[in-house]
Amino acid sequence: MVSSSKFVSCTFLSPILLIGCLSAGADEPKPTPENTISVQLAEPVPAQKFENAPKFWIGDVIDRSGNPQPMLVLKERGGIFLDRQPKQIIREALEQSLKAANLLAADANSADLVMRVYLFQFGLAQGSGLDFFGKVEFTAMVKNPKTGESSEVKAAGTSIAKAAVRKKNIQKNVQDDVEESLKDAIRNFLRGQQLKDAVAKLRKGADIVPAAPAPANP
Amino acid sequence: MRIYSRFFLVAMSIACTGTLATGKDNSPRFKTAEAKHFTQAEGVELSPAFGDYFYAELRAELKKAKMASEIIGEGEAVDDSDAPTSVVITGTITEYKKGSVVKSALIGFGAGLRSLKMDADVLRRSDKQNLCVLHVHVKIDPRWNEKVMAKFAAQQLIKNMKSELKAQPN
Repeated sequence: MVSSSKFVSCTFLSPILLIGCLSAGADEPKPTPENTISVQLAEPVPAQKFENAPKFWIGDVIDRSGNPQPMLVLKERGGIFLDRQPKQIIREALEQSLKAANLLAADANSADLVMRVYLFQFGLAQGSGLDFFGKVEFTAMVKNPKTGESSEVKAAGTSIAKAAVRKKNIQKNVQDDVEESLKDAIRNFLRGQQLKDAVAKLRKGADIVPAAPAPANP
Repeated sequence: MRIYSRFFLVAMSIACTGTLATGKDNSPRFKTAEAKHFTQAEGVELSPAFGDYFYAELRAELKKAKMASEIIGEGEAVDDSDAPTSVVITGTITEYKKGSVVKSALIGFGAGLRSLKMDADVLRRSDKQNLCVLHVHVKIDPRWNEKVMAKFAAQQLIKNMKSELKAQPN
């Protein structure tokens, strides 16, 4: 009696479990050329004017978002993926804008200030459900390699884009939204008062030329 | 033929008058506008994500309203020459009541609604002169997401700001 009931329960339960496992696997989106977007700055962001313009070098870009799938922007509707890692996108955007403003050093040795970027958020954040809420947030540790002094500069960019029904439109709106928030964050960084203060503070020490030791009298 | 030409002249003059009358000066009033994250008064229990979302919505609404040529991010530097025609929007969320679904369903007539009150100041960047003080009170259904409330609050704030500034001379 017990064995027959076990058999019946196994017969009914196993297909249900199998279907459950299959559907769970099907829910996990996979990147394809159709659902992959390329996020980049349409044009370099103009940087602020510095009194004694320094040359920057971007050292490491570290992803601190804690996101296990950093390239997955949107999970619903078959998923939307980025074509590159967010830290690579941030690096390219910063380099592009610094280069356009003639603030990018040729290499790390010739740089006046070296930046280490910590990325905290890149992509979509939770919004109201009526629209897409794009958010890019990072912090840069700007360091003067000669004096060893460093200063922290925070930057954040947000953008709101309309929601859509069709997959094609969703993809387009998400791409525009992330690009706009990226541009906003880069602009916030390059035109921010924090960077201005950090450069002024770090360059202050560099301008002071150490006095030559006085010759000893015979 | 003469009647037709007179009719044509009259029609043209009406059309021109209409165009002149409706022709508005659409140039933005301010050079730059900066929205800051709103602070929360004691006792207001809203998540930091709400503050971020409200800030983003406020910036989006400012862009839509076309009140400034440029909507700058928080903490961005502004040229000294642009400072007199630039504004900074600061504010405080003074009260938040999360509402009650039971009250809303059983009593109705506005009972149990989720409510948010905030005060905002529009300051001129150069001399920190207060251009206007805004009070916003938003109520929504308690079943709705709190971020929907942020959206409505941002819309209401910009609407109030527009009407307040319209009443003032440039």
